[in-house]
Amino acid sequence: MIQSAKSPSYWALVSKQFKKNRIALWSLRLVGVLLFIAVFADFIANDKPLYCQIEGKTHFPIAESYLVDLGLKKWDPVFLQGGDWHKLPYEKVRYTLIPYAPKNIDLKNNDYISPFGKQRVKSNWFWHRLGTDQLGHDVASRMVHGTRTAMLVGVVAMSIASFIGIFLGGLAGFFGDHRLKLSRARLVLSLLGLVIGYFFAFVSRKYALTEGNFGKELAISLLLFVLVVLVANGIGWLLERLPILQKQVPIPADLLVMRFIEILNSIPALLLLLAIVATIKKSSIFHVMVIIGLIRWTGIARFIRAELLRIRNMEYVEAARAIGLSEWRTLFRHAIPNALTPVLIAISFGIAGSILLEAFISFLGIAKPDASWGELLTHARTYPKAWWMALFPGFAIFITVTLFNLIGEGLTEALDPKRIQKS
Amino acid sequence: MFTYILRRVGILFLTLLVVSLIAFSLSKIAPGDPVERIIRGRENVGSSKSDYINYQKIYAETAELLGLDKPTFYFELTTAAYPDTLYRIIDKDHQNTLSKLIGQSGNWEAVEHYYQQLRHLDVLLSDLPPSVDRNARTGMRSDLRDLYVNYEPNAIMARFKRMKADMDKDSALTAEVARPYQQLSEAYAKMVTEATPAKHWFPKIIWNGIDNQYHNWFTNFLVGNFGYSYINGRPVEDKLLDALQWTLIINSIAILLAYLISIPLGVYAGVHKDSTFDKVTTIGLFILFSLPVFWIATLLVVFFTTPEYGIDLFPPLGVTDLPPDAPLWNRMVDIAWHLVLPVFCLTYPALALIARQMRGGVLNVVQLDFIRTARAKGVGKQQVIWKHLFWNALFPIITLIASVLPAALAGSVVIEFIFNIPGMGRLTIDAINQRDWPVVYMVLMLSATLTMIGILIADLLYAAIDPRVSFKKKVA
Repeated sequence: MIQSAKSPSYWALVSKQFKKNRIALWSLRLVGVLLFIAVFADFIANDKPLYCQIEGKTHFPIAESYLVDLGLKKWDPVFLQGGDWHKLPYEKVRYTLIPYAPKNIDLKNNDYISPFGKQRVKSNWFWHRLGTDQLGHDVASRMVHGTRTAMLVGVVAMSIASFIGIFLGGLAGFFGDHRLKLSRARLVLSLLGLVIGYFFAFVSRKYALTEGNFGKELAISLLLFVLVVLVANGIGWLLERLPILQKQVPIPADLLVMRFIEILNSIPALLLLLAIVATIKKSSIFHVMVIIGLIRWTGIARFIRAELLRIRNMEYVEAARAIGLSEWRTLFRHAIPNALTPVLIAISFGIAGSILLEAFISFLGIAKPDASWGELLTHARTYPKAWWMALFPGFAIFITVTLFNLIGEGLTEALDPKRIQKS
Repeated sequence: MFTYILRRVGILFLTLLVVSLIAFSLSKIAPGDPVERIIRGRENVGSSKSDYINYQKIYAETAELLGLDKPTFYFELTTAAYPDTLYRIIDKDHQNTLSKLIGQSGNWEAVEHYYQQLRHLDVLLSDLPPSVDRNARTGMRSDLRDLYVNYEPNAIMARFKRMKADMDKDSALTAEVARPYQQLSEAYAKMVTEATPAKHWFPKIIWNGIDNQYHNWFTNFLVGNFGYSYINGRPVEDKLLDALQWTLIINSIAILLAYLISIPLGVYAGVHKDSTFDKVTTIGLFILFSLPVFWIATLLVVFFTTPEYGIDLFPPLGVTDLPPDAPLWNRMVDIAWHLVLPVFCLTYPALALIARQMRGGVLNVVQLDFIRTARAKGVGKQQVIWKHLFWNALFPIITLIASVLPAALAGSVVIEFIFNIPGMGRLTIDAINQRDWPVVYMVLMLSATLTMIGILIADLLYAAIDPRVSFKKKVA
């Protein structure tokens, strides 16, 4: 199959196929809407006004709050009087669509007020459109900010998973069991470098890591680790000149990676996630995201491995080799970029799975995010009368998960070689 | 074939080894002290630790019983600043504090000296003549005990200051403990001034031998001795068997139902592709497949088991409301009534998955030549479907078996939590939340084993049905 310059690229063919699938296309658009809500959650549900005039001055409090958080600006003293943004003496004011932040507690309307029940609000604009929970949090606001949590989980977890999956799956598929070769010197020194690097980065600095500012200390440790590994490799490179140490040893990359995947898959993700979260003293939603990413990369790795098994024998890869490009360069610059399209399927289903996992973890009350659909659903269990807390958050989870599944299905169909050839 | 199975068993063992390492290291990283928990659960020791010496004795005995007085692993990579035998400090809090102090100062001799002085003063304070003022003594002692768990310099200095103040209040107390107190504060000062943090940059590998916690646990596990729960001291296998019974009941009913409904459904939809029936079931199955189980379960619980909406058709949570001595028949009816909703929640996702796969399998086979040949020969439609098509379309269903067993376990976590069924899933969540590690180990190992066995069964079935599949090594 020779592609001339004029024939459309593989990606263009796939995207054409995908667009033919109406349902998948609309799912993608709706995910766009969800992403919009996630990004602009602060402008949709917030107790601060979008725009207001107070003491003759015009303010945009929500936009200003970002600057304040970044430390670039200080609040005008008029805003610092009470703490309740709704009670300031505005001359003109424009609130967001849902004039509550997820943390706001409405004491007049606490203890599960139904959306259709009696609400004591000063105007219809302040109506709790989806009711409140026991403490008086506005459910609608929590739903909007829950969108942010869900999308963040999907994006962060799958970014980590893609990174690991593409790297390991790429190694396994491209090199197989025989093609990845290291000289004896390099092999020994790489292993040694890993152990010594681990020692200096994490054993020597254990006290600093556990007691100091974790982010900063971790960065130092990682830097140290990379440095030691690089130095070890440098020494290996020098020692390679010796003929005895020059002999090449094949590394069974495929075998190692596939075994690893098999082992990881043998423990149900939910159990592994729960067990790992239990080891963290104060587990936050970010821990959950990272751990999901560290667990759920196997699907991506399998996809990219299968794709590379096909690609590694194709002409352009042979050509890259023939002109003397190094194996690693061929892999990362030429082979992997061409294998990425099918990975989108795995990522799409992976996002659905991650969102579901996070929702369930929050439902169990293990991680406590500011606002999460799973956490909202818990209230329905403790207070069955609150039907709004059972319906809306669950429906949001259902819709989001379904959308990503539909996109995954659409991609699977669009990538089916039988269909691409027909078009 | 035989060598293939042998190899798979080898891989199973390897997997168990790795899973055991993961589970074990998780239990070691996790916060909390199992020994303390077990003593609190059993002995009713007050939180004031009034009988301190006695408490420490019980602590040491319990730790020995659990094997937690041994080194953790075969070997240990640490820095030159740490001693070889820190594990001999049995109390986990003390061990942790000492380890942190070494982290600060790097001088084990000084840290050890400080710890000895601390204990010395502690013993003295618990055994004072009655002439000593009670308040001063208890005040000083509680500050001293705080030192066992404090390692931040500021916190330690504050304790020293308060102890000194307490000591100065009462001349009798001063007479008794002034010297040891002096020695303690000197030991601390020495630890700070003679710090050797550079020692942390030198590696040291400690060989602990095979009498270590991991080795003992894993070898016990292999011979079927699974240990005792940290929570109530029951053997893990007893707890597990009790729980397993419920999980097996609800899962076997659910899986059976799912297969019984989904296979005819999938075949019918596949054979009549693009018919209205097919379109409706395809969409319906997709929606079923995407409905989050924990949402549906919550909805069912909220609407059908509580009297709030007047449609509480089913009894509330749990497996039965009747006492164990109720007549067997009544009990069975009651349990069945309780299990309707959980079984439904377990069935529908499996049903959707299997039916979708079955339909896909049928679609793949329907276009193959031999079906057309069979039809052309004049074989009846039903016969073609059930004799030719069905068996060939069964392949994807078989691979599903590999995931059905472990998925059942994971699925039960959700269902059993929501419907409050005392099965494996509930046990797992409780064990993880309460950090009951022996149970967690067992569940993780069991689920890994089930998964591997599931894959093995699927592979063997595949070979049994499809003669093209062979486990002999291909000659290249």
